[in-house]
Amino acid sequence: MADTLNILRAGMATVQDLGRFGRSRYGLPVNGALDQHSARVANVLCGNDEGAPLLEITALDFSCTPSTDVLVAVTGAPADLTVDGVVRPRWEPLSVRSGETIRISGIRSGIRVYLAVLGSFDTPYLQGSCAPDTILGFGRSLRDGDELGLQRHCPPVDHPEYRIPLFRLRAPVPRLPTPWTIDVTDGPDLAEFGDTADRLFRSEFTVSPQSNHIGLRMAGDVPRRVATGEVLSRGVPVGAVEVPAGDELLVLHRGRGVTAGYPVLAVVTATGLSSLGQVGPGQTVRFRRRTVAEAVAAHRSQRNAVHALQNRVRTVFDALRIPSSPARTVPVSP
Amino acid sequence: MDSGTGVVDGADTARGSVVIVDCGDSGVVAKAVGMDAERAWRTVHALADAFDAVRLAGVHGIVPTYDSLLVEFDCADTDHDTVRRVLRHEADRLGEGPVTPPAARRFVVPVVYGGEFGPDLPVVADQLGLSEREVVELHSAADLTVRCLGAPAGAPMMDGPAFPRPVPRLSSPRIRVLPGSVAVAGRQAVICPMPSPGGWPLLGRTPLRVLEDLDADPLTAYRPGDTFRFVPITPEQWDDHAGRSLAVSHG
Repeated sequence: MADTLNILRAGMATVQDLGRFGRSRYGLPVNGALDQHSARVANVLCGNDEGAPLLEITALDFSCTPSTDVLVAVTGAPADLTVDGVVRPRWEPLSVRSGETIRISGIRSGIRVYLAVLGSFDTPYLQGSCAPDTILGFGRSLRDGDELGLQRHCPPVDHPEYRIPLFRLRAPVPRLPTPWTIDVTDGPDLAEFGDTADRLFRSEFTVSPQSNHIGLRMAGDVPRRVATGEVLSRGVPVGAVEVPAGDELLVLHRGRGVTAGYPVLAVVTATGLSSLGQVGPGQTVRFRRRTVAEAVAAHRSQRNAVHALQNRVRTVFDALRIPSSPARTVPVSP
Repeated sequence: MDSGTGVVDGADTARGSVVIVDCGDSGVVAKAVGMDAERAWRTVHALADAFDAVRLAGVHGIVPTYDSLLVEFDCADTDHDTVRRVLRHEADRLGEGPVTPPAARRFVVPVVYGGEFGPDLPVVADQLGLSEREVVELHSAADLTVRCLGAPAGAPMMDGPAFPRPVPRLSSPRIRVLPGSVAVAGRQAVICPMPSPGGWPLLGRTPLRVLEDLDADPLTAYRPGDTFRFVPITPEQWDDHAGRSLAVSHG
């Protein structure tokens, strides 16, 4: 019988990947893991392709048990991670024996935790991705009792009795500052906000409960559009900071519709979007103005750290004869 | 402007130009300026095709609309200079000759107007100072050209009918719009292919299935440049068309 990861307590969890790339011309949002950095690192720690399917666990407690020996990694927001009741490290590969219970509880500071398994899961694909798309009705939240097909098993690679890890990989763990500082660059329509544009950087904004993977609404001293006139619908990037009306900012995230008619005041940076993927309702956010060059440098530095981690994983996995190649080729780009 | 949006790259010609600006650390926008709406639209879509054909590594997606083309990419795998250079090169090549659109197909779309099918028809008629019948007549009087595909998925965004003025959006968007809903806003028209939230006033609804196979590539049977012709039908005729595919309604 095929091996499975059995979901005991689903909480709010979905099977995710990095997104549905190359389809925005057809009006499809990219979607995918909201904290891309943590999702990449979880897969890399398991020797998977960065874009392999993994679990995105939001806010609520979660537990599961594999029907075979597996290697997993848990990243993202701080949380209590236990295997059969014993506290285990996050941001490191972890051997879990057949029948043991992985429990993730007390998610705090941020709201999203990622769990990857060496070899990943069997999961349906649509338009080249397994990422849920709520509008298309594709992909669903996991439910208690679900069984996810596992592609691989992995013999234990820790001490047989004391369960001490045989290696430490020192993954790049992002800081979660309070209040959150989110980097943005100037948007193409900045000038339309005149003197009020600076308000974005002067005060804090509070994230409203009406926030999700499509966008985050934030209350505060919002900038005002000075220019008048209709804006023709056009493509808006993930990360666009808009001021639709009233006293709320709208910051578009990965589920955003590809076109909109509101002026774009600022654009959240690539690293800022991963942080924003961790921000929960009621939390406060400060925006920090960056040049495009600074933002690109920050993203490259983060990606280089992941590549360096990938090399360390390969070295360690080769030495321990852990099968690290992904079981399937996952389409990443068009 | 400062370095965030400061890189503006334009090439003036007698027939307008394409201006290229940064849009965040992972995007660039090419905008057609100084030309009429038809040429601007043809230019950004031809530019999108030409850019797509280059298959530049690191590019995640392109969104050509009316007069602008958004390119999104991973700035660790490519960079703004490379994307801008390719766009500039392709735009200059396009600028040398006439930009002809691909051969258009015409889709015929039966619509039940008003009532529960188009609950905003009376409001729109009021706002335009027309009778409901006049609104329906204008909406179904001419072929409407698809200009781009929009949210939530594969929505055909068309030039609006020849109404006397733009149609305001709803002050409070609907939580859920039924698939096949036929809507207008500003000077645009659309069919909503999927159940989704929506702020555009609804005039009617078509019984045709707009999206056939969500895993199809391309996703839609129609493409920008194709035209839609709406044909009024009665509620009694709904079942004659229900479940048929829009894909086979052209001719």
